[in-house]
Amino acid sequence: MSAKKLAWAGAVFAALLAMPLVLGEFWVLVLTEILILGLFAVSFNMIFGYMGQLSFGHAAFYGVGAYTTGLMMVKAGVPLGLCLPASMIMAGLVALVLGYFCIRLTGIYFAILTMAFGQLIFYIIFQWYGFTGGDNGLQGIRPPALLDGPWSYYYFTLLVVTAGVIVMWIISESPFGYTMRAIRDNPQRTRFVGVNTKKYMLINFVVAAMFAGLAGGLWGPFNRSLAPDLCNWHQSGVPVFMTIIGGPTGFLGPLIGSVIYTFLMAFVTGFTEYWPLTIGIVITLVVLFLPGGVWGLVERYGAALPAREGPPPEGEGGAS
Amino acid sequence: MDLSLLFAQALSGLSRGMMLFLIASGLSLIFGVMNILNFAHATLWLVGAYACYTLWFLMQEHGFAVWVAIPLAALGVALVGWVIEVMLIRRVYARELPEQLLLTYALVLILGDLIKITWGVEDKLIARPAALAEPVFIAGVPIDSYFVFVIAVGFAVYFALWWFLNKTRYGHIVRAAVFSREMVSALGIPIPVIYTGVFVMGIFIAGLAGAIQGPVGSVTLGMDMAVVIQAFCVVIIGGFGSLPGTLVSSIIVGEVYAFAILFWPDGALALIFILTAIVLIVRPWGLFGTPMRA
Repeated sequence: MSAKKLAWAGAVFAALLAMPLVLGEFWVLVLTEILILGLFAVSFNMIFGYMGQLSFGHAAFYGVGAYTTGLMMVKAGVPLGLCLPASMIMAGLVALVLGYFCIRLTGIYFAILTMAFGQLIFYIIFQWYGFTGGDNGLQGIRPPALLDGPWSYYYFTLLVVTAGVIVMWIISESPFGYTMRAIRDNPQRTRFVGVNTKKYMLINFVVAAMFAGLAGGLWGPFNRSLAPDLCNWHQSGVPVFMTIIGGPTGFLGPLIGSVIYTFLMAFVTGFTEYWPLTIGIVITLVVLFLPGGVWGLVERYGAALPAREGPPPEGEGGAS
Repeated sequence: MDLSLLFAQALSGLSRGMMLFLIASGLSLIFGVMNILNFAHATLWLVGAYACYTLWFLMQEHGFAVWVAIPLAALGVALVGWVIEVMLIRRVYARELPEQLLLTYALVLILGDLIKITWGVEDKLIARPAALAEPVFIAGVPIDSYFVFVIAVGFAVYFALWWFLNKTRYGHIVRAAVFSREMVSALGIPIPVIYTGVFVMGIFIAGLAGAIQGPVGSVTLGMDMAVVIQAFCVVIIGGFGSLPGTLVSSIIVGEVYAFAILFWPDGALALIFILTAIVLIVRPWGLFGTPMRA
């Protein structure tokens, strides 16, 4: 990591530390949501940007993580600090089973299989009244007393999300991360070099799901309740939207997308119920006129930001 | 459980399957030819149902209201499809799969809200035409006559599509385009015209299906969401671009659902997803598809 990048990251982190001091409760809640969904979106981009496959069932892992923490806290009173790792492990285990099949497919078939599995998880949570509460949802998830307030929970979320994002950054810059890029760009050649591509893809899928599970785990105590809609395919669309808006070619693209998406939602839903119409138009405009998202724009025109390392962003759907 | 109930359930499953076929056939055709998976397909189907309601409402004192409303609604939806193709879809032909997928997904959100703005949140009810109000007796078992109508339309559309694809010059061009767009283009056939034609045709069938769905029960917001995923499952099981495959898998999915509802109501939809997952894992190109596009 260059000094310039480090300076940028430091500045962003300092801003995130300072912002709640001047913001009201509503915007602190929005910031918390941005962080949680941002972590979710960055984990999605491990599959989309770095592996080159579009997962349309990523919310399943988010939901599994959310329900793991929620159920452990409500039914067994397990402290949050233990629930979050459990959420990661549960999401990872589910991803290990589903991913075993998913990574055998690519392109549209990968997208639809992840979607079918995602809907399967959704229906299990939706129908299993005795355990998950079904469509009544799961209520009364309270964070520990120390974190029981918008500001304290924000700082806790900031800490966890930053740690998660740093770990994913390290993975993306490691030899493993570069092997994933190679598999994305030319799977056949990567196989010829002697890489077990299926194994790498499965590991990547599981790791991405674990961080989605972590994000889901953070959501329950923040929202105080859970509903099965958390793992519906609409929720799977959220990280896709964020990544496309922010740009899949940059590691931080999905986070930028989360900032834009969540702020816009908080703003727009303040005066109209037609949020789907709004985001639908935004997505249409981004797809038509801003391929590569905001990060693509930055890469093309922003000399002030870190220079790109990979090929130009014209080839969509790939992180450089 | 006696036999007549099973028979009635089988016919209800068949009618459900044929409704899925009407939606999935267009979806499959559009994907087969244009390589675009249209998320908004079922939302346009829902537009057809609402359009049918409005047209029927305007003419409801006449006995023929539904019979006029159904074809007009289908044509209206086809017009919407044409506008969407020319204004939006055409611009992303050369793009990657995720962007095409996202554009049609954005259309789901936009059209969904436009439906809400136009028709409001209340459920809409269309009175059945007098001819289909009474049950018919098949082998002594009372069967909803509207189900028989849906099944008849499904098969009629299947045979019309089959005839078009296999017996007409344009149908041959469309089938050739499924195999190799480059070759068709090299023969001097304008590919964009074929694309627009196929898209509008697929959307017309979806609009027709929606209009026919209208009188089945109440027309409600969000109906499209459950249907679009099932239509994807049908297309996957049958194989993209295969018309007989879509028919067979529609019937399979309709029947699996109808009988699962009897024996294991909670698992009916889950069973369909499991079926789809198995097909995707074992035979990603579907029961009737060819592996060349995989």
